[in-house]
Amino acid sequence: MDFDVRPYNFTSATTSWLILLAILAGLGLVLPLASLAGRGGAAGLVDFRRGLISYLEDLFSLSLRRIAALASLTLKEAVRRKALLVFVMFAVLLMFAGWFITDSNERAELQVSVHVTFLLTAISWLLLPALIFLSCWALPEDIRLRSLHTVVTKPARRMEIVIGRMAGLGVVVAILLVVMGVIGQFWLSRRIPENARSALQCRVPLFGELYFISSEGQPQETGLNVGDVWAYRSHIPGNSRARAVYVFRGVDESALTRNEQGEEELLLECRFEAFRTVKGSESSIVKGISAQYTLSVNPREEAFGMLAQSEATRAIADALREGQYKTASAELKKLTERIRTAPGELRPADYFGLHFGMFVSGTVLENRKDPALGNLGRLFIEAALTGEGVTAALQQQERGEKVEIPYEAFAAKVDLVADGLTERSAVLMETLQRMEVPLPSFNVSEYHDLDESSTNLTRIPRRLRFVADYETLGRFLAAEIARKNDAGGLLADGALKASLTEELVKESRISQLNAERLVAVLGEQLTAGTLAVDAGKLKVADGRSWYLFFDDLIRREQLVSEDTEGWMIEKDLLQDLIQDPNGDRYLRVEVACINDQMYLGMARPDLFIRKADQPFWVGYWKAILSILLMLLLIIVLGVTVSCVVKGPVALLFTLTFFIVGQFFHDFMIRKLAGVEKGTGTVESMILIAQHRNPEVGMDVSSATMNVVRAADLGLDGVLRGFSMIVPDFAVFNRASMYVENRFDVPFRDVLLPSIVVFFGFLIPCILIGGALLKFRELEAK
Amino acid sequence: MSNAVIEIRNLSKIYRDFWGRKKVQAVKSLSMDVMQGEVFGLLGPNGSGKTTTMKMLLGLLFPTSGEMTILGKPASDVTKNERIGYLPEESYLYRFLNADETLDFYGRLFNMSAADRARRADELIEMVGLGKARRRQLKEYSKGMTRRIGLAQALINNPDLVLLDEPTSGLDPIGTREMKDLIIQLKAQGKTVVMCSHQLADVQDVCDRIAVLFQGELKVLGRVDELLELRNEMQMRTPTLSDEAMADIRQVLKKHNVSDVEFSRPKADLEQLFLRTVRESGERPGRRFSTEEVAASGRN
Ligand SMILES: Nc1ncnc2c1ncn2[C@@H]1O[C@H](COP(=O)(O)OP(=O)(O)OP(=O)(O)O)[C@@H](O)[C@H]1O
Ligand SMILES: [Mg+2]
Repeated sequence: MDFDVRPYNFTSATTSWLILLAILAGLGLVLPLASLAGRGGAAGLVDFRRGLISYLEDLFSLSLRRIAALASLTLKEAVRRKALLVFVMFAVLLMFAGWFITDSNERAELQVSVHVTFLLTAISWLLLPALIFLSCWALPEDIRLRSLHTVVTKPARRMEIVIGRMAGLGVVVAILLVVMGVIGQFWLSRRIPENARSALQCRVPLFGELYFISSEGQPQETGLNVGDVWAYRSHIPGNSRARAVYVFRGVDESALTRNEQGEEELLLECRFEAFRTVKGSESSIVKGISAQYTLSVNPREEAFGMLAQSEATRAIADALREGQYKTASAELKKLTERIRTAPGELRPADYFGLHFGMFVSGTVLENRKDPALGNLGRLFIEAALTGEGVTAALQQQERGEKVEIPYEAFAAKVDLVADGLTERSAVLMETLQRMEVPLPSFNVSEYHDLDESSTNLTRIPRRLRFVADYETLGRFLAAEIARKNDAGGLLADGALKASLTEELVKESRISQLNAERLVAVLGEQLTAGTLAVDAGKLKVADGRSWYLFFDDLIRREQLVSEDTEGWMIEKDLLQDLIQDPNGDRYLRVEVACINDQMYLGMARPDLFIRKADQPFWVGYWKAILSILLMLLLIIVLGVTVSCVVKGPVALLFTLTFFIVGQFFHDFMIRKLAGVEKGTGTVESMILIAQHRNPEVGMDVSSATMNVVRAADLGLDGVLRGFSMIVPDFAVFNRASMYVENRFDVPFRDVLLPSIVVFFGFLIPCILIGGALLKFRELEAK
Repeated sequence: MSNAVIEIRNLSKIYRDFWGRKKVQAVKSLSMDVMQGEVFGLLGPNGSGKTTTMKMLLGLLFPTSGEMTILGKPASDVTKNERIGYLPEESYLYRFLNADETLDFYGRLFNMSAADRARRADELIEMVGLGKARRRQLKEYSKGMTRRIGLAQALINNPDLVLLDEPTSGLDPIGTREMKDLIIQLKAQGKTVVMCSHQLADVQDVCDRIAVLFQGELKVLGRVDELLELRNEMQMRTPTLSDEAMADIRQVLKKHNVSDVEFSRPKADLEQLFLRTVRESGERPGRRFSTEEVAASGRN
């Protein structure tokens, strides 16, 4: 399966943990109470109270020194009972492993990942059985041999015995792991062939979010599916408007690296999949498919893109995205006209697209918290809410109910939006600025089974020099001239300064030819009277903004560059391209496929910002830490279970927990969330027996059907309970997965969940284990 | 009389199997007290419930019914263990530890300081005579040595109440003697000792009071000297007498209407013989003693 990174959902994990804790605490109080009261009546209640008080007293009189004594006892036992023989097995394994996994003809990355995978797997699978055994057997054995009698007749609290066991075994496993880790590090750095050692990397990725823009310009969650079974990657067609848009949050100086010259740059690494629908020439196959990144600031796309969802409003969306607010306003008026006169012409989907799109627009505009935009966002949202009423009414009508559809109210609200757009078109023009920085194209290899080989590293210098499009150029010139003008640096004695060209070259970092052209045009405009001198400063005669002035010149081709490079301008990646509408700085990277009839496939982890690499061993030890946490959790579970049952039973329990948690936890969660398609358990079995598929359904009477459904509901409940009790052991594999893929292990998404899961189980386990041991007779066999 | 250290009221214990079915009633409605400063013996044949009673006192087993307090606290309260020493029926210790480590470990469970632990360990190892074996792991110990280290761990905290479950089992006669001396010594220090045994001689030698259990029921409870006194017999002890002397004595007794008189040589008991032999073997190594010598040495 492909390497995927999913952020860990702390909220849901915490909630289910709290629920579980409450249930356990409830059970822990109610069951003993019921059984004691049932047997002894009022005396039982007294016993219960006494037991509870004594338990709480124990809890608050735990002694670290006694726990340390018990832990060091466990440690001594492990050492004297030769648990450390695991090392020998480990060393032997490593000695012979080399024969099977070394193939110096493979690519470096593959060799590294094979070695690392082998090593980490060997470590965890060697320690796992030994630890499950130790943790499940130790306490029952202590009880069987009655050595525990001598301990519990000392002031040692039973809970201390539980904690001491866990801690002692924890220290044992920590020592084992550190030693194994060191041996492993030595082994890796020796064993991996010289030519592959450069791939012992620890890349620090910053992953983003991904959405798509279709060929029709609609924003979408997924792109096209070219027929992959797993549908892991979505595809965009080449030579079209289609884009994949990655949004990277939290980009700041720390995301940049320095190249050999000491210049700051941003690294983008990708491994896209190329897919072609027509045969090409041999050379074109070798070359692969061309892809291109565009860094962009595109608030208009973000605000109005969603309006492109329905066909009826696409023209409006396009006008808005182009910044033609008056056109958009006129289009909106046309639409309201249609809604008033022939509302039936528009499909329900159009109404839906309209109100949904308007809602998004309104939210985005409101989020900018820009007073100049006034209540425009609010107008959008109000229109959207009324539109929702239309959609709802249409649905009711569909079901045959008689309802009044509020077309008129909706049209009125949309009219208000249209008016608002005209009114505020100048403000919108100023605030919603688009900037696009196209980067040079690169090739994506077609052999996607070797997907590592299609890895591409793009270095983007922090100081970007690029050929500007009309809007970007217009904005750039307007800003530069306005800045200079405000400082009084354009004019001398009522005319343009003689040194202006040189100053522009130096300050605005544009070429000599372009500066000359710009100064010449300014001079012409001054002579023609479109520009005027006012109090030692230049101003646009008809009061337009500088941007509109230059935009007009550019569109009238007055400013065509005579430079062979064209209008090359310079921007700062962090200052100019990281957007920060409400404190959340993000970088937008659009990916396009250039070749006609080709497709480019991508998934969320396929493109990331590569921060400065860490030494490989940083990631390696983080993975080992993660393994440690997993083994500690095993110990905790094993010791807890063994407080109440005998060794073999405890073993079975712990093993079940581990296997279910490791391999089926995810499935359970997805099944319960309804992500995993399919019918209930019983229903599925009946379907299999009857050779029918879920669409057709079971061939049973409706009474049976109800019984089956109820049974499935019950089973789901059991599954839900189980999924809460069983720890998500897969969490602990993630770190290894990152390291095997030569990535650093992120703290928040990987290490922290491991730590959280561990402690989430540690605390209740200690409480439960302590209670189980306290309220049991050590003698009874 | 001083106050009670252990109070047991209507204590019963029924062992049940996994399914909650009754297997055996080990203790039946037992009531008794143990007083401060006395040596108390729990007697009874095998399986009469002695160990079960002791384990309930320690909180290892939960009574089926009845009440008990030990050192003024309920049996389920761990803090009482601060002042209790317990020697189990067999020494259930960690076999991978040596004697020093064992005592250190149990000392740590009392939160004793390192210096205290070391000092106490030295004293106790000296006392139980394991000086030579203190660094050997317990798994190499003989049964008696294990008993001795078991005793040492029971006394690590200088307890006020000592519970000894068959303290002399597995010990050689010297050990037995020492154990009895120790118990007497503990009593002299004002500690309370409760011991179980079916070695009646041992019990007779050291106990102030005894209780006899039979199939879980209390049959006899009282002071040893009172219980054993034969009220209609007298005993007289002299050096060896000539035949005339014996005849004269018979005459005198006849005058007092006592005709049922018996003369015999007192027998040293085997315990005393053994102790003597071992003592003298130490003084004069390499010799074997003839019956005469043994008998002669018994005379002085
Ligand atoms: N764990 C147990 N489960 C079931 N029955 C038990 C258990 N322990 C003891 N018994 C039973 O309880 C009764 C009393 O046992 P206990 O060990 O108290 O006797 P005791 O007086 O100490 O005997 P001994 O002199 O042999 O040590 C016996 O019948 C015994 O079989
Ligand atoms: Mg016994």
